[in-house]
Amino acid sequence: MVDLEKLKNVAKDTVSREDVKYLIGWRQGTYGFRVSPLFMTEPEDADKLIFSPLCVNNLATYLTLAEKLPVPRGAEPDTRKVALMVKGCDSRAVVQQLIEKGIERESVLVIGCPCQGVLDLEKVEEKFPGIHSPVDVQWGDDKFIINLPDGPQEVPREELLAKKCLNCRYPNPVMSDVMLWEEVEAWGNGEYADVKELEEKDSQARWSFWQDKFESCIRCYACRNACPMCYCEDCVLDRLNPQWIYRSNNISENTVFHLARAFHLVGRCIECGECERVCPMGLPLMTLNRKLVKEVRDKYDFEPGLDPESKPFQSSYRPDDQEDFIL
Amino acid sequence: MDSKKLTKDKFGGFIDLLSKQKLYVPQMAGETLRFAPVDSKDEVNLVFSNTAVPPKSVLFPQTETLYEYEAGGTEMIIPEGPEEKVLLGVRPCDARALTIVDKLFSWDIDDPYYLKKREATTIIGLACQEPGINCFCTSVGGGPASTEGLDLLLTDLGEGYLLQPLTEKGEKLCQDAGELLVDAAGEDNQAADKVHQEAAEKIVRNINVDGIPQKLEDLWESPLWKKVSDACLGCGACTFLCPTCHCFDIQDEMEGFEGRRCRVWDSCMFKEYTLHTSGHNPRPTRRERTRNRVNHKYSYFVKNFGTIACVGCGRCINNCPVNIDILDILSQVVKEAL
Amino acid sequence: MNDNLNPYKPEIVTVEDTWFETQGDRAIKTLKVVFDDEEKRESWEHRPGQCAMIGVLGVGESMISISCSPTEGKFLRFSVMRAGKVTQALHELEPGDKMTVRGPYGNSFPVDDWKGKKILTIGGGIGQAPLRPIIEYVKANRGDYEDLTMIYGSRTSADLCFKKEFEAMRERDDVNIHLSIDIEEEGWPHYVGFVPSLLMEVNPSPENTIAVTCGPPVMINFVLQNLKKLNFADEQIYTTLENRMKCGFGKCGRCNVGNLYVCKDGPVFSYATLKAVPEAFA
Repeated sequence: MVDLEKLKNVAKDTVSREDVKYLIGWRQGTYGFRVSPLFMTEPEDADKLIFSPLCVNNLATYLTLAEKLPVPRGAEPDTRKVALMVKGCDSRAVVQQLIEKGIERESVLVIGCPCQGVLDLEKVEEKFPGIHSPVDVQWGDDKFIINLPDGPQEVPREELLAKKCLNCRYPNPVMSDVMLWEEVEAWGNGEYADVKELEEKDSQARWSFWQDKFESCIRCYACRNACPMCYCEDCVLDRLNPQWIYRSNNISENTVFHLARAFHLVGRCIECGECERVCPMGLPLMTLNRKLVKEVRDKYDFEPGLDPESKPFQSSYRPDDQEDFIL
Repeated sequence: MDSKKLTKDKFGGFIDLLSKQKLYVPQMAGETLRFAPVDSKDEVNLVFSNTAVPPKSVLFPQTETLYEYEAGGTEMIIPEGPEEKVLLGVRPCDARALTIVDKLFSWDIDDPYYLKKREATTIIGLACQEPGINCFCTSVGGGPASTEGLDLLLTDLGEGYLLQPLTEKGEKLCQDAGELLVDAAGEDNQAADKVHQEAAEKIVRNINVDGIPQKLEDLWESPLWKKVSDACLGCGACTFLCPTCHCFDIQDEMEGFEGRRCRVWDSCMFKEYTLHTSGHNPRPTRRERTRNRVNHKYSYFVKNFGTIACVGCGRCINNCPVNIDILDILSQVVKEAL
Repeated sequence: MNDNLNPYKPEIVTVEDTWFETQGDRAIKTLKVVFDDEEKRESWEHRPGQCAMIGVLGVGESMISISCSPTEGKFLRFSVMRAGKVTQALHELEPGDKMTVRGPYGNSFPVDDWKGKKILTIGGGIGQAPLRPIIEYVKANRGDYEDLTMIYGSRTSADLCFKKEFEAMRERDDVNIHLSIDIEEEGWPHYVGFVPSLLMEVNPSPENTIAVTCGPPVMINFVLQNLKKLNFADEQIYTTLENRMKCGFGKCGRCNVGNLYVCKDGPVFSYATLKAVPEAFA
């Protein structure tokens, strides 16, 4: 069970450490069901921290998003750790970044928050529209307890659970320096209904499904920027010299953008669902990623982001790997 | 011209009239609404909150060819002038936004691409009845039935629409509609006033903008900017979907032997936006970029054009994946400056 | 609107001559170009300090300062450092090739207001390019100005632009030239050290003097500090800024420093103006 007192105490102790730069956790947002990442440097800010079914953001993104500015002449580089609160899925992003040597183990202090599944923001905002004051939400047995301004409401878990959580197999952090409370039992079986549904369609139908989506993309790059695995300092899709995709917004360039991103995530996507959540145009980007996750799992029995000591997918060749797709 | 009334049984005829020009209405594109040309009357549905993409996308498209050329050639061909268009169902906030963007595009040197389209477009507004959760138009000089930037304002009265012609273009449309319209009665006007009044009362969020431009100047080095930008992902959702954001990039693109120089939306929230070729970046982090976004809307634009470049549509708040909330930032600005 | 008034549509120019000012990865090449359209060749007017958007169709455009004075003739000169995609393409141009030019953009150095004054230019590296038109303008109207002093430095002697011209200028006795390089080199007869230090060495008097500086941001910052130490008033100090630009006339947004646009309110600013602009020295 979530122990908010413990979470706050650990946070206070953590930011008081000399070797910690700041702690990244979640805080209640400015209205309704929104939350925002909290960058905490002072112990007194611990009271702002929350952990609830609202805490959907994968904060591991910030480990690589923070700009690395040149160290001023004569100054020492800041090597202090970043403390990071993680759910199960989020922890896999940290592990995958470690596997890829995108971050160093000493640079991060992982605070594990076993998670019972978070809310789908769109669904909850649709069910309870127009709520201005920030709403507190708690986990109950098989339900969410939503403390609306005019009293609590209970909603069955399945009704509001985020899509990424419906089939979660890793609700507990797979790696942590501190685990805040008892682990929960995993409920997912790893089946992907959305992928299956698309796979059953013919290629023409599949293309028209994606065409409609990609056409509506505005290329705001929220999907890429929110993705904890998209951390290249110089993204190949931004590069002008040589230029792989044009800045023009059209079906052709947009498709290349999304497919290139999906392929760059093969064997790396840890299914936190951030790309899909942050998309202002509502593109089902996880369907694309899950298809590739499924291929990698079915064909190579490989799952990323589980063991920091393991090798990346692309460099873990085995002589008996399938090769029947090679023409 | 006095107000007119269009009963809903005549709505189809009115749409036929508008369709003589290219008619744009809010339509689903993928999973969200945006203004798109209508193929059939059935696509016209005026029951919606607001479009995800503001109507600026029609007058200032995300991608626009400036001129075309052939590989190795020196002749530059500018695309044919824009066709006459009607935008139906524009929310008053988004129409006000166009009047703000107008100022920039006609400043010193006219921008022919935008201004010609603007000239060739008739804008029919639809008064807001159900403002969104983050709407704050009334704080920045607008309102659910604001008329700035509109040629004609429609108000849904249930059994029909009240039409207020606001410009010559709007009056011409009403004249062309002829028998489809009747003169509005005093009670129709009163009913519309009531609708407008009730909508305004539903707007909850607000900010007192008095003195904010100066306060922003005073807070240039405030720790506030770090605090409000820590969580920023550096994406372009806030700016691309902002009805007053107008920044663009110019790019050359070749396809085979055909080339074009085009402009595409750009965002001050992107790292590349200010990056010098030398590698130097005058706005090296999200802190400086966030500060620029807020300052541009609430200080620089005020200095240059005498108006705030924000219409309170709430899109940047609704669409921010990490709840960066411009009203929250502004209220912190007000508090800090005290 | 007439297509000829379309501010995005450039003119075609022909490259008449090219030469390298410096070599290496970030070589600087000067392109001398003339308008294909005869009417444009005659009607074109620019002033020292202004820029133009130059480009290659199919590649793109870059804002580059016009490195010649209008007093030099009916042509334009651009000195371009090879750094990105567009400058790479510009470097590949040879005499007879075509490119695009639109402009001129921005304000200019108020050279006519400076008549009767002493002129001091302080440049570093490619930053000499926008200063060169001032020197040429003063030379062409030599009687109108008092002393002309040029301080110019770069990392090594091979990185100095316009070297031959300086040698020719040494023949005249009405231009004071001070050159520097950052790192000691055999046979280098001039100053070794950074430009701001050379400025202190030269120790110019602020009396009736206008100081103009351009170079890397770090250099500009120290030059400004040193000019203040030498008691130059803010109004006597000018600099020219650069920022990423796309349109050139205040629409595309990106070149702003505070509420000012470098492309239209600049690139030339007096220190008195810039001091009040929050991100001018970022």
